[in-house]
Amino acid sequence: MRIGIPEALLFRRYEPFIRKFFDNLEVDVVYSGPTNGEIMERGIAHCVDEACLPMKIFQGHVVKLQAECDKVVVPRLMKCEFGDSICPKFVGLPELVGKGRAGSKIIFTEPLYLNDRNKLRKAVIKQSKQIGVSKAKVNDAFRAVEEFVRARKQGECYGAGAVSSCEGGGENTGGITGIHDGAIKVALLGHPYNISDSYANMNLVSKLKRLGICPVTGDELTREDMDEQMTGLMKAPYWRFYRENFGKAMALLKKGSVDGILYVSSFCCGTDSVTIEMIRSRIGDFSMLVLKLDEHTAEAGMDTRLEAFAELLERRRQKSKGTVPFDFLKGEKA
Amino acid sequence: MKLTFPRFGDSNIYGRLLFRELGVDFVVPAPNSAEGLERGAARAPEDICLPFKLMIDNLLSAWEQGADTVIMPATMGPCRLGEYGELLAVTMRKQGCDFRWILLDSISAIGVKELVHRLAQAVEDSLCSKRQIFRVLRKTYTLIKEFEKLEAEVRRLSPYDKTAGSSKAVLRTCRRALEQAEELSEAINIVRQSKKELHSLPRDMSKRPLRLLVTGEIYTQIEAFANHYIEDTLMDLGVSFEKNISIGWWVRNTVLNPFGGMLAEAKKNPLMPHRIGGYAKETINEALRCKKEGFDGILQLFPVGCMPEIVAKSVFDGLAKDEGLPVLSIVYDEMGGEAGYLIRIEAFIDMLERKRDMENVLSGDRCRIGKHGFCCNGR
Repeated sequence: MRIGIPEALLFRRYEPFIRKFFDNLEVDVVYSGPTNGEIMERGIAHCVDEACLPMKIFQGHVVKLQAECDKVVVPRLMKCEFGDSICPKFVGLPELVGKGRAGSKIIFTEPLYLNDRNKLRKAVIKQSKQIGVSKAKVNDAFRAVEEFVRARKQGECYGAGAVSSCEGGGENTGGITGIHDGAIKVALLGHPYNISDSYANMNLVSKLKRLGICPVTGDELTREDMDEQMTGLMKAPYWRFYRENFGKAMALLKKGSVDGILYVSSFCCGTDSVTIEMIRSRIGDFSMLVLKLDEHTAEAGMDTRLEAFAELLERRRQKSKGTVPFDFLKGEKA
Repeated sequence: MKLTFPRFGDSNIYGRLLFRELGVDFVVPAPNSAEGLERGAARAPEDICLPFKLMIDNLLSAWEQGADTVIMPATMGPCRLGEYGELLAVTMRKQGCDFRWILLDSISAIGVKELVHRLAQAVEDSLCSKRQIFRVLRKTYTLIKEFEKLEAEVRRLSPYDKTAGSSKAVLRTCRRALEQAEELSEAINIVRQSKKELHSLPRDMSKRPLRLLVTGEIYTQIEAFANHYIEDTLMDLGVSFEKNISIGWWVRNTVLNPFGGMLAEAKKNPLMPHRIGGYAKETINEALRCKKEGFDGILQLFPVGCMPEIVAKSVFDGLAKDEGLPVLSIVYDEMGGEAGYLIRIEAFIDMLERKRDMENVLSGDRCRIGKHGFCCNGR
């Protein structure tokens, strides 16, 4: 039996664990590979029109795997590791992508609670029949992953894959030499799947680096650092990536280690509509650029906005130092 | 303290009578309007869903009328409604409206004690005793129940009217009278009176109207402005329809009888086995019922970008393809053009009527052939 694993949505974030788990099971596993034009087009054709870009891409990966594999893993993620939820589409992921008859190929649809060890273990073991592996073996694999999680430090586990994978994945990494200590630093925020998918975001990280901007993802921040920032809110937010991005933005801002915020979002993202507004309400006139991703493939618009943002940050920095960067501005001042 | 609340459906009627009886000072926001929506949309984040935009306008209007405290329901679901409170507060503060907020959160988030504490805040100005408060609450619920029963009957019966639109008129007069009512008992009597009136209307029960099921996201279903008065449209088109998700339904399932809600949840639903937040599971449950009870089609309503309903729509797509269940999904946003919505609904209804006629032809009943100006029996 061949099992297909779509490399989309939160795959990058949990990649080491997923790989470890399936390696230990010793089953025939096919990974769908990084997103490309064909996957995206298939996803758009098969997915419900109103869904957001990451969901369409995920659908594309699933459609691709359905042709090659006997089973496709489409997890139903109820709660993340700290008990936060994500977005209703994650909970309904098997329903969203498994329309009609193709749905029978989908496995791992038991609800996964990453914050509850026993529930998670039970849900995973329940899948043994569908994978065609004995329960004991699934249990062993689960244990091995648990050991693996414990052995790693928090900072290493979560999110570290995002930027580094962009560096390796994008072919346009040439010319990234402009990064030095004094470079402009930008907090790169957003859902991890938007940041790590270099096809969907059109090689954003390499583009930034070519402009001499150093992206800071704030992955070294711990859960406690982020939770600290939630004080003063009427209600503790329940979305994982609201907490994460809002917390990171506030923590980085307080530290004063970034010159601007670059928020990567997808068109019509439900959770980002709240997160972005909450960040904006707290930062005053601090520079923030929101990039919306959708099905478009023309890079010029993106390039222009990034260049303008880079220039703006540069100018703001000069201004704060007291030197005016361009001659024509001097005239204006006088 | 001057209390206010966002409008949804007939909450203005119920809220007004409830707080009046309790002796709490309150303000009812102005009705939703196109100008109001524009005002709300200009101040709301761009990707937020329609209810939020309307609520911004409601609260602005309440602030202009002197309100200073907002009572707002919230959930812990993964749907956006739970974060509305915080975002509303931030947006309103930006507009210079510094409200005091009473968030009625779910018990799982704040615990029973805190919820009771917050509820107590809402009635702190009231001179009523606890017993009186409970009596008033019960009366309010009776009113909601009675009025929703009336609504349901009008929806079911209006196509049988001998003089078209008479049932609709009864409902409209009743609603107008309720808006003027002084107290709850009077309001309940008005509803009962209207019900009698409705039953005494002349009807032609030999008609065979289409039966539709209206389902989808809760706000767009109960707020007539948000769904472009779809109920009136359907009644005018001579369709009998059912709509089960309402304020009363919500109160029943979450406040009065959470156990019943839990039971309903435990019911097996092969198409959507788990709650995904919002009311997507309920939407699918309704659709399954539709198949069983012989409805002709489903109308699914939701605002643009509604996360749970997008998943539900995906399930509907599969249902439509595999089982031939006719579903029309209508997505609402700031767009004000009525014609686009009307045309789609009309076309859907025409299609369903024709489909039914075809089935009748196949089973030998030729009485309705030619209604649409062409012959469909193969000649």
